[in-house]
Amino acid sequence: MTSSWFQDPTLLAAMLGALLPFVSFAVIMVFTRPYPKLSATISVAAVSVSLICALSLLSRHWHLEQPIQYTAKWLVSGKLYLPFGFMLDQLSLLMLTIVAVISFLVQVYSLGYMAGDPGFARYYAFQSLFAWAMMTMTIAPNMLQFYVFWELVGLASYLLIGFYFEKFSASEAGKKAFVMTRFGDIAFFLGLLLVLLHFGNLNIVDLNSVDVTARMSPALITLSAILIFGGVAGKSAQFPLLTWLPDAMEGPTPVSALLHSATMVAAGVYMFARIFPFFSKSATAMTLFLAIGTITMLLASTMALVTRDIKQVWAYSTISQLGFMVMGLAAGSYFAGIFHLTTHAGFKALLFLCSGVFIHEYETNDFFEIGKYGGRGLKVPIVCMTLAAAALSGLPPLSGFFSKEAIMGGLAGLHNPIWLWAGLLGAFLTAYYSFRLIFAILFPKKIEEVHHEEHGGHGHGHGEDHHHAGIYWVMAWPLIILATVTLVLGFFHTPLENFLVGHHGGAEGHGGGHHAWLLYVAVGLALSGVGLAWLEFGRKGASQVGFVERIEPVKTLFAERWYIDHFYRLFLDYVIYGIFSNLFTRNDRRVIDGGIDGICRATVGGGRVLSFLQSGMLQYNLMVMFAVLALVALYFFF
Amino acid sequence: MNSLYTYLFLAALLFSLGIFGVFQRRSLIGMLIAIELMLNGASINFMAFNRFLAPDPIVGQIYTLFIMGIAAAEAAIALSIIVAVFRRLRSINIERAQELRG
Repeated sequence: MTSSWFQDPTLLAAMLGALLPFVSFAVIMVFTRPYPKLSATISVAAVSVSLICALSLLSRHWHLEQPIQYTAKWLVSGKLYLPFGFMLDQLSLLMLTIVAVISFLVQVYSLGYMAGDPGFARYYAFQSLFAWAMMTMTIAPNMLQFYVFWELVGLASYLLIGFYFEKFSASEAGKKAFVMTRFGDIAFFLGLLLVLLHFGNLNIVDLNSVDVTARMSPALITLSAILIFGGVAGKSAQFPLLTWLPDAMEGPTPVSALLHSATMVAAGVYMFARIFPFFSKSATAMTLFLAIGTITMLLASTMALVTRDIKQVWAYSTISQLGFMVMGLAAGSYFAGIFHLTTHAGFKALLFLCSGVFIHEYETNDFFEIGKYGGRGLKVPIVCMTLAAAALSGLPPLSGFFSKEAIMGGLAGLHNPIWLWAGLLGAFLTAYYSFRLIFAILFPKKIEEVHHEEHGGHGHGHGEDHHHAGIYWVMAWPLIILATVTLVLGFFHTPLENFLVGHHGGAEGHGGGHHAWLLYVAVGLALSGVGLAWLEFGRKGASQVGFVERIEPVKTLFAERWYIDHFYRLFLDYVIYGIFSNLFTRNDRRVIDGGIDGICRATVGGGRVLSFLQSGMLQYNLMVMFAVLALVALYFFF
Repeated sequence: MNSLYTYLFLAALLFSLGIFGVFQRRSLIGMLIAIELMLNGASINFMAFNRFLAPDPIVGQIYTLFIMGIAAAEAAIALSIIVAVFRRLRSINIERAQELRG
């Protein structure tokens, strides 16, 4: 491997792509932190090279037969052999490209969004760290390396969510994200240990082979699959651990875009897909995942119905779309889940970046306010956002339509129709809350006339003022690129499917085929969601009060996120602080402190006692000396 | 009467007296005198062995001469220490010099 790494273009590209962001992180942190411009240049340059590498790898290996692995010995312990390196197969190539594209666009966008921020250089350093961790995780050949970078992704997102660490809520949100995902990661790690103990190997290729069933009992596979899924639940904000994601909005908006589309939360679903054959060996576990995905999807959609914060809406929608992906994967349609991950990465990044433009311009997160101040005046973002929202709702011919249909097709293939109905309900809710936001911005009740003093000219239509024009266009270009992607990606459905599924032997369950009626029902439901939103928010004289908001208790329930956070708070207060912390504090005070104090006291006391021997009398010392000499003499004579 | 044992007995007596004095006297001068007694006891031993057992090489006498020289030097040093102690404590009583007591 070492001899010819520079001759093998594949390996060179993989190494360059994966390592350069880290180099840029290190260089920025060590040398160029005081120079924001230079730091940003380094970071963007590194991520551009990564992007080029990823794209070239993807095009080079479009007809890949076997996964390509490059590994070097990392750790040998007894029979355990852990290599470290790269594995390129269809899935990792696709994901690598997604990560590189989104990271690149977000970093370019941030040039405008973060301009003038005191932490500019630090921001770019963290972005590079994030890109490095995510890319190396993507192409990890074994689960241990995967886990290491998985945690690094968590670290980077912690740093970025808590980027404005002077703000209390931001540092709290960072902490919450970190601790909550760590919760899932504990389960993940235990699952890995279980697999390691019983299977003796963590290579992804081996895990996905049929060997597993031969060496592990079905119950054991189920248990370890569920434990490993804990990591997915933490990272991808699935049901019990979903509340960290909305709080993660405290970070800068481009960070949210990155976090929600291609990196942090996508990591969970990516892991699910990565060892999908392993998971699918346990039907029980898959049903559980299906249930978790469904619950997550519905809970998050209902939360999105009532919030007024533009970023919160997209955050909840991310959770619910992640639920969709988990549902798709758990229903056995491998391709559908990944396809939705891909399309979602595109349009969700777009949604967040658009929101970022609004937030940047109007300095408020409330989309009713944004509408009031004339948000529709910003032409590029509003068009892009509408497009992305339509994709999110699954309207044809946008990318979201194709991937959602694929998932629905997978769900329809299941015996129990309840999953399909839940999915359709979710699609309806998604369309409703997305367009609630869009219509609130597009057709505000009244546009504030008096807004000239601060943002000259925003009130009436002509979007960017000349002062900000440069920054505005830096931010607008990524939007346009992403919008194009959103528009056309759906038509790559078949090539992508051939590319991905060729290897995995036909996505099981997807074979249920497209039910024609399903297509119409799904689109019809999405359209009726849009229509309902139009009735309540869009049309002239609309009350701008959603149907959910009319019922007070339901609204409170949704707005309080189903009291999940309250539950965690109570749990934290009573169980963690009340019992464990208390016990540990006592243990600390009594046992550990007491023990140390006891040792000190014993030493002092012993010294006191022994010091009686030191009388300070010359003659006693002499006597002892004499006695000893006399005894020695006696001993030698007799 | 004029035999080895007489001298050895005398030497042992002197040495024991010296030891007793060193342990018992609280005055530094007294302790110094007692040490001189011990040295003299040892010297008598050397002389007696030289005289009765090995008269030919006069090693014993040379030892005794050395002891006398050393005793003189020791007396000088000890006295100067005693003077220093007296200057510090205004006393040459050994019981006053107990600052190192634990």
